[in-house]
Amino acid sequence: MIMIAYYVITAFVLVLLGWNFVRETKRRDDLVLYLLVMIPLVLRLLRWK
Amino acid sequence: MKKDTLFKAALAGAFIGLVVWGGLPLFRHRHHGVPIVKGPGVTAVLRLSEFSPGLKGTAGDTYVFVLQGKEPGGKALIMGNTHSNEPEGMLAALIFIENAVVEKGSLYVIPFFNNSGSRNTRPGDGYPLYFDVPTDWGSRRFRFGNRDASPLDQWPDPDVYIHYPDRQLLSFIDVRNTNRTWPGRPDGPLMERVTFGAMELMRREKIDVAVDIHGAETMFPVTNCIVAPEKSVKIATLASLTVKAMEGFENHVEASPAGFRGLSHREIGDHGPAMPFLLEAPIPFLDQPTGPKTVKFLLDGKDPFLLSLSRKKKLFVPYDESGWPLEKRVGQNLSVTLEIFRQFSKKTADRPIALRGVPRYADVVKNGVGRFLADPSKAAAGAVVVN
Repeated sequence: MIMIAYYVITAFVLVLLGWNFVRETKRRDDLVLYLLVMIPLVLRLLRWK
Repeated sequence: MKKDTLFKAALAGAFIGLVVWGGLPLFRHRHHGVPIVKGPGVTAVLRLSEFSPGLKGTAGDTYVFVLQGKEPGGKALIMGNTHSNEPEGMLAALIFIENAVVEKGSLYVIPFFNNSGSRNTRPGDGYPLYFDVPTDWGSRRFRFGNRDASPLDQWPDPDVYIHYPDRQLLSFIDVRNTNRTWPGRPDGPLMERVTFGAMELMRREKIDVAVDIHGAETMFPVTNCIVAPEKSVKIATLASLTVKAMEGFENHVEASPAGFRGLSHREIGDHGPAMPFLLEAPIPFLDQPTGPKTVKFLLDGKDPFLLSLSRKKKLFVPYDESGWPLEKRVGQNLSVTLEIFRQFSKKTADRPIALRGVPRYADVVKNGVGRFLADPSKAAAGAVVVN
C-alpha cells in the first residue's frame, strides 16, 4: 500500500517536472536540469531501476 | 519560438535516448532467466509461496528443489544467494541440485533465496550484470545480483529497520537484506515474508540442518569460517577440524552472537527445530580497496591492491598471487556442507543424511566449477527450470 502511494507520488512529481519543462521558455539550463531530475523517476515508473 | 521548440525536442530526444541506453540493460538483467537442470536426485520442485502465501506473484517467490532419498532419514536445507553478490553459495546449491542423489533422508535446496536481490545490481560499484562460468561444453551465464532486494520489489526503505520480533534497531538498508529479516512474518515487508517462508518450510518439514552459504571480504574478520550458534557449534567444530585434517583447507568456527538479531545463524535455531550453519568463503571481489570489479576478478579473485595489503598483514585470510578463485570458494562450501551432513548423521544415527554425486574440494579445485554444471540444451524435456 505504501509502495503504491510512492509510485503515485513519483508520477505526480514527474507530471510537475514535465509541465515545467513544457512551460519554460527562457532558461535553457533549467530545461536540462528538469530532464536530469526526471531520469530516476521515469526509470522507477517504468520499473527498470 | 520555433528555434526554442526545436531545442526542446532535441533535448527531449536526448533524454529519451539516455533513459533507454541506461535503463534497457538493467531491464534485461532483471528479466534474464537462469536455467537450472533438475539432476538425477530431484524428486519435486516447489515454490516458497507454498509456505508463505504472501509471496505469491511477487519477485520474492523462489524455487525450492526437493531431493527425496530412497530410505528415510534426516532432512537438510541448503540456501544460496541469500546475498546475490556472493555467487559461490548459489553455485554450490546448483551443484547439489544438478548432481546429488540422496540415499538416506531428504534435501531441500533454494538456489536463489533472495530472488529479488539476484535481479538487482550496484551500478555505483561498477558491478557486472552477468558472469559466465566456463564449462566443458561452453559456458553457463548467471545474473550477478546485489546484497539487497531490488527497491522495485520493496519500496520505500524505512529510516531505521526495526527487527521483528526483537525490535532491535538495524540499518535502514537491512529491511531488504534476507540475512537480517529472519525469522520473518507472514504479512511483513517482502523480505520478511521470504524468511518466514523458509522458517515455515523448516517447521513443517521438520528440517534438522539448515546451511546458508555466503561469501565474505578478505578484510572482514568473519570470513573463511562456519558461523554457528550454541546448538550447532559441536557439529561445526567437528566439520571444521575434519576438512582441515582430511582435505587440507582452513575453515574455522565463529560463534553466532546472541545479541545481534535477524541473522540466519541465530534466528533459525531460536525459532525452529533446525540446527543452523552459515558458511563464509573469502570473496576478494567484495573488498573495497581493489581494482575494477570485473568478471575476471570475480572468478579468479586476484587483485594487486589486496596482494599489497596481504603483505602488510591487513587481511584475515592467506592471500598470494594465486588469489582466491571461484573453484576454491565453491569447493570448500561443498566439502564443508557434506562434512556437516556426515557429522550430523554420526551424532544422530536415527536420522542420517547420506548422498552421493557431489564433488568435494579437491575435485572442484582440480576440474573447475563448470565441470559439475549440466548443459541445459542437452537436458531432457521438462528437466529445466528457468528462474
